[in-house]
Amino acid sequence: MTQPRTEPQSDFERAALPFVDSLYNTAYRMTRNPEDAEDLVQETYLKAYKYFDKFEEGTNLKAWLFKILKNTFINSYRKKQQSPPQSDFAEIEEVFENQVSEEATGQMKNPEDELLEHVLDEDVQRALDSLPADYRMVVLLADLEGFSYREIAEILEIPVGTVMSRLYRARKLLESAMLLYAREHGYLRDGEPAKMRSRDAARSGDTAAPPSEEFHHKAQS
Amino acid sequence: MNCREVKQVIFLFTDNEMEETLLASFRAHLEHCPECAQQINYTRKLLTIVRSRCCREAAPARLRLRILQTMTRRGIVPE
Repeated sequence: MTQPRTEPQSDFERAALPFVDSLYNTAYRMTRNPEDAEDLVQETYLKAYKYFDKFEEGTNLKAWLFKILKNTFINSYRKKQQSPPQSDFAEIEEVFENQVSEEATGQMKNPEDELLEHVLDEDVQRALDSLPADYRMVVLLADLEGFSYREIAEILEIPVGTVMSRLYRARKLLESAMLLYAREHGYLRDGEPAKMRSRDAARSGDTAAPPSEEFHHKAQS
Repeated sequence: MNCREVKQVIFLFTDNEMEETLLASFRAHLEHCPECAQQINYTRKLLTIVRSRCCREAAPARLRLRILQTMTRRGIVPE
């Protein structure tokens, strides 16, 4: 009987296994489920091994693996994936459309630099999760994996021009969502410095945490 | 290039994906338009936040083992 192995042996394993974290992270963000993400990545590796003779040596192995991941996701997981909260996305789209119409009428929007300072890690996560799958994928490939437009075009099997327009819309939607969430907590508790609201402050379990808004109301009445 | 056109191709610039021919007129516009220059800074800041704040899930150790072991079981890896 063959002993279970813990170390890569073949050329394929040595070349392809270093991408397991990148593939898993993308799979997790696309399926929103750790079990599905594991299955998706495993399936990707098995398919990649099976068709490894079709891979042209010297070309981009990471991009090739991501293309297999994308196809496997579309064929097996896309239908069953949980849809994002629709109400969230409708609100984001509204913010986005307003932004677009302002730009179209030539009104120069003031960059919301200050609001950007209030964006928390979980806002970024929530904003990304709220994007429809096609937009989420293009942001993951460009901004988290650092693929070029040409590589993304190969992975998604779409023209480079489509990559550009999809990425544009995806990032603008992401921006709208991040600012929407930042605004939500940025103005909920007036006068409280943004840093105090960070996850670190919450995690520290600090008993000297600033009193809640409710407390303020009671204290004033 | 005017402000509107700059906005449409702003990501090409921040992603270093802009062609040389476009780059010259893009830069020329930035030189005399502080608003667009500010927009570039803002966009860079925004992208940095997305890239650095998004938490990356590492693959569980068991997944790596699962991949290796399934290949062995299926006999697709020569021993």
